[in-house]
Amino acid sequence: MTTNLRRRSNSAMRTALPPTPLRLVCPWVVAAALALVGLQAASAAETRNVLVLYANSRLLPANIKLDHGLRETIRTSADRPVALFDEFLDVPRFGGQAYARTVTTYLRDKYATRPPAVIVVGNQEALSFVLENRAALFPEVPVVFMSAPKSFLRSIPALPADVFGVPIKYDISSTIDQALRWHPRARRLVFVTGTGVWDRGWEGWLQAEVPGFKDRATVEFLAGMPTAALLKRLGELGGDSVVFTPGYFKDGDGRNFTPRESAEAMASAATAPVYGPFDTFIGSGIVGGRMPNYAAMGRQAGEIVNALLDGAAPAALRLPEIMPTTLNVDWRQVRRWGIDETAIPGDAIVHFREPGLWEEHHNELIAGAIVFLLQAALIAWLLFERRHRRLAEQANQKQRFELAHASRLAVVGELTGSIAHEINQPLGAILSNADAAELMLESAADRRGELREILADIRRDDLRASEVIRRLRLLLTRHEAERQAFDLNDVVIEMATLLRSEVQRRGMSLDIQTAPTSATLVGDRIQVQQVLINLVLNAMDAVADLPENRRTILVSVSSRADAIAIAVSDRGHGIAPEYLPQIFDSFFTTKPQGMGLGLSIARTIVEAHGGRLHAENPPGGGALFRIEWPATDAKAKSSAETE
Amino acid sequence: MNTTALIHVVDDDESLRNALLRLLAAAGFEARGYASTGDFLLHPRTDRPGCLLLDVRLPGPSGLDLQAALQQQGITLPVIFLTGYADVNSCVRAMKAGAVDFLAKPVTRDTLFDALRRALAVDALQRSARDEARQLRAAFASLTPREREVFDRIVAGRLNKQIADELAISERTVKAERAQCMAKLKVSSAAELGRLAERRQQLSGE
Repeated sequence: MTTNLRRRSNSAMRTALPPTPLRLVCPWVVAAALALVGLQAASAAETRNVLVLYANSRLLPANIKLDHGLRETIRTSADRPVALFDEFLDVPRFGGQAYARTVTTYLRDKYATRPPAVIVVGNQEALSFVLENRAALFPEVPVVFMSAPKSFLRSIPALPADVFGVPIKYDISSTIDQALRWHPRARRLVFVTGTGVWDRGWEGWLQAEVPGFKDRATVEFLAGMPTAALLKRLGELGGDSVVFTPGYFKDGDGRNFTPRESAEAMASAATAPVYGPFDTFIGSGIVGGRMPNYAAMGRQAGEIVNALLDGAAPAALRLPEIMPTTLNVDWRQVRRWGIDETAIPGDAIVHFREPGLWEEHHNELIAGAIVFLLQAALIAWLLFERRHRRLAEQANQKQRFELAHASRLAVVGELTGSIAHEINQPLGAILSNADAAELMLESAADRRGELREILADIRRDDLRASEVIRRLRLLLTRHEAERQAFDLNDVVIEMATLLRSEVQRRGMSLDIQTAPTSATLVGDRIQVQQVLINLVLNAMDAVADLPENRRTILVSVSSRADAIAIAVSDRGHGIAPEYLPQIFDSFFTTKPQGMGLGLSIARTIVEAHGGRLHAENPPGGGALFRIEWPATDAKAKSSAETE
Repeated sequence: MNTTALIHVVDDDESLRNALLRLLAAAGFEARGYASTGDFLLHPRTDRPGCLLLDVRLPGPSGLDLQAALQQQGITLPVIFLTGYADVNSCVRAMKAGAVDFLAKPVTRDTLFDALRRALAVDALQRSARDEARQLRAAFASLTPREREVFDRIVAGRLNKQIADELAISERTVKAERAQCMAKLKVSSAAELGRLAERRQQLSGE
């Protein structure tokens, strides 16, 4: 962007504005005059040049920061183009009268075609240079200084009115003061300086501070030592020392450094905390200090340049008396030297503080936490739902079980007559046999043979009665639903035994056809038997009013490769077609005494066993109820065997 | 002719039937067992006194059916029902049809024998009534038509003279017929003759 502007301004210069003596002499007066007469269009194309003259080399950290502050502040635009030119005096490596003359000539000739509207100087050496050579170097152009210590300004003659700026102050004493407070064990204060002119100047300033700390620590000056020896010495200091250094440009061996380079070397070698006066040292390994801010100096100078270019008179500018200093501290060094965090003042600028996870990512953390909470809530809800459903399922299962049991009780109730008959037959026989035996014993004759027969009969009848009771108990007991392998053939035979008496009572016949091979099902045998009893009793009701030859019920078991099934068929009137879709519904019944639960429970039980129960009217007449299970035979058999 | 009582036991349950027969035998009864209604009916009937110990629930026709069939045939053998499960309907039906008792299995010896004794007593009573009626029928059968006419009028309370008028015969003839009638019926007074007529009516009405 800057290059663009320059190119445009260059062409503007060539075409419209050949340099004139007037412009050279007092460009900003001209600019002001132009603004006053309202010649905006003419001034729009006129590029003003700002020459920035730094004392040291281009890469001195302080210069880079100053440049940054300047460029960030000085405004330039199409109708007010400003061009910045940087020059470096490269002190302390170059110096002397001849050098000064050469540079002056160079600058004057170089900028003859681009005369500066403002000259900015960085550092006290550059200010000294401009002041000394001003007569030959654009004498009418106002000079704005940056980074000039107040102590230096006091040491030179008063500045002309058009040379001005905001001075700085190196707050050495409060830096050391702070250091001694942070390191309460420190008993020795070590100052390090070099051998250059600048370094000597600093040595003088530091010497001036010594009396203030005499009573708190012993003061040691390491001035002008060769770097190697210096670093060795610093390495031996130990925990009771605090080092303060402005760095140096030249060491005891005459080798050149930038102050920052030297400070960095010292900080890494020292076994004591190192403090310094420049914020450019932050990051080199020093702990910190109360420092002026170079970027702020650049910005302050930039503001002044802006005001001058806008036509303000130097006298009219209201400038701060001095650049503020701030306490800078390197967080890594705070940790390294174990400085009490709470002792760091609130206004201190803490550099390189590892931002905590919270500070760096708090949005993400909040979002994460919310997601986590939502997820947790969702999981909790799902768990709750699952538990709820499982409880409901358990309740459901329990209810089904209770209902099945109640239905069995009802069935047994229906069979009461037959059952009583079946039990009372053997009981009657037993009683009569006992009575007979008693009578025989009363008679004198020896009838042992007969008595023995009687006892055998009694025993047999007793077993008969208890067998009936055992079967009944199986049917009536509220056992837990079982999962065992059993043969459907056995269930059908057992059912027939249970119902034999009832079938006889009703003058019917019940035919059983078992499958030639076993038909194994895994589940609750009693419940399956209950289903069968239900179906057969229904069939018996269906044929009750028919002539004797049709009062026949057939129960057959079939075992095929793909399915096992039980069919219960009768020769009655069949199921009325309009009832067929409803017969398995709860509370559907055609019987005056019926509850309408038998078939609904039967189907529930069959389905709980993974089977299907359906009804139809076969072509031959009557009704057919068919229970079918997919063949799990092989599996069931093997599992039954392993049990 | 054997006049000792014979008890018929009809029960399909062999064990119970045998136990009953054994008990009855031990108690000195003569008894005979049948497995079904048909078995009983097929057996040649004797005219011996006795009773029927009948299970209500039998394969094929039930005990109640047998009771009804016997009544239809005029066989007056008294019936004691034995049942494994006494439902009210069967009980009412059996008692209405004249059963001596309706016993629930298992039945105690005393209850059974008590019922049997009553049944046999009923049988004896029925038997003697039947004999009396037979004798009466025979006596009456020996009367000539004229004697019957005179007898009917005597038991109706007519005087000899009235009878003679009605039959257009002499009073003397009436007296002779009357003496002949009393001799044949083995009575000695007109009052006895009246009682006999009454008895005959009773027996024929039964």
